[in-house]
Amino acid sequence: MDKEKIYAVIKKHMLENLEDLNESDIEPQKSMKDFGANSLDIIEVVSCSMRELNIKIPRSELADINTIDELADKFIAGAAAGGINVK
Amino acid sequence: MEDILNYSLADFQYNDNPDVLAPPEEFETWINDPRINYCFSFFEQQLLRTPKTTTEILSNLDHKKRKVINLTSYNYLGLCSHPEVIQAAHEALDQYGLGASGAPLLSGTFDLHVKFSKMLADFKQKEDCLLFSSGLSGNLGAIQGILRKGDIFILDEKCHKSLVDGGTLSGAKMLFFEHNNIESLNRMLEKSKGRRTLVAVEGVYSMDGDLVKLKEIVEACDQYRAAIYIDEAHSTLMFGAHGRGVAEHFGLEHKMGVTFGTFSKSFGGVGGFICTNAKLTRYLKCYSSPYHFSCAPSPVIVAGLIKALEVATRDSTLRDKLWENVNYLKKNLSDLKLDLGNTESHVIPIIIGSSGEKLFQMATEIQKRGLFLQPVDFPAVPAQSRRFRISVSSQLTKAEMDEACNIIEDVVVKGLKM
Repeated sequence: MDKEKIYAVIKKHMLENLEDLNESDIEPQKSMKDFGANSLDIIEVVSCSMRELNIKIPRSELADINTIDELADKFIAGAAAGGINVK
Repeated sequence: MEDILNYSLADFQYNDNPDVLAPPEEFETWINDPRINYCFSFFEQQLLRTPKTTTEILSNLDHKKRKVINLTSYNYLGLCSHPEVIQAAHEALDQYGLGASGAPLLSGTFDLHVKFSKMLADFKQKEDCLLFSSGLSGNLGAIQGILRKGDIFILDEKCHKSLVDGGTLSGAKMLFFEHNNIESLNRMLEKSKGRRTLVAVEGVYSMDGDLVKLKEIVEACDQYRAAIYIDEAHSTLMFGAHGRGVAEHFGLEHKMGVTFGTFSKSFGGVGGFICTNAKLTRYLKCYSSPYHFSCAPSPVIVAGLIKALEVATRDSTLRDKLWENVNYLKKNLSDLKLDLGNTESHVIPIIIGSSGEKLFQMATEIQKRGLFLQPVDFPAVPAQSRRFRISVSSQLTKAEMDEACNIIEDVVVKGLKM
């Protein structure tokens, strides 16, 4: 899966969920927390992005991710693993 | 199939099943897997007797009735089955019937509710009190009633779901600070400058048993003129010289804007309450939905709770016994070199680590040996610190605690070495 596409999806959901955020402010090397996201906002952004990208990664594997870039990489790995594979 | 164990309840909140009355398909796959099903068998096990320190359960593991030493119930002071409490409830049942049959504002307020509210307000040294039918609805209703869109609600990241849900419902902007971290709180307070701000903390944090750093939090909130809401669900009747809670323990009750408590733990009943100033209480009676639109708490329960408050505060006997037991158990568990986290209370975690498999293997063995000690898994606690959680009761005998420690040594200590 294309990283740019993943990044665009994450960005879209950040803009939908976070107050006072401009697209030009978003930097992949930063955490969503740096843009005012609380833990509920992050769950919302991650869940909406995974749903749109049709991938599913256990929340327990997302705990150590610190930046938007790391999240995008994790999504790529998840997609490569065949998306949802609990079945 | 192997990674099915990596999923948890944190993963199925979103539901995109086209059938709105069906759960997510992956949830069904996950929860019906025999390994997950086995973990869930620890939930909703039926108690067959009062939740005393020795009780009986119908085990989901083998569908057998089993006598167990109970280290899991919240019956911290034994008031759930105290003879005077039971007697008071019996008498109220005869006099008032089973339920209140109405919302408080219309027909649900009994003389018992008024009496108990006054007792609690006096006890907590606040002007007034509001009773709720459940603990969760108390927190949720208070926060939803106090805050509005445009306000700021700052919570310790380990605050209970009822506070988070109240914040969501209120429409306020929610900011979480790192657990008991004053620098993190200060950053959130700085962001909130100039806006109506409420800061929520808990007296005793329910999964770790540690206490709020109240002195430092009060100093920070004073500096930014933010109000404090303290949830004393796990501390009322137990902490402080008079049992008023952790705020009394730290000598800071006058700094608490709102104090919350539940009746389902040390009180041995069910329900919740807040104590605060009279004007806010009057306002919340009209704008806190769980108060305004719920049937009032059962008069039977309220009569039992009135007696429970009397028994728990007439002297310090129950509290003293509780702390004696806490100290005894902690010493024995520490001697076993178990990781008890940062507990400072009657809530004692035994941290096992990241292996869910090990946790549930131990849980099975523990129960079969006759100890009711429930496992706590991710997402209730971090994935790397899955645990057992002990709720100490003042009613535990030395023999019960010794036997519990024997079982823990045989199963947990030995299991951790394997």
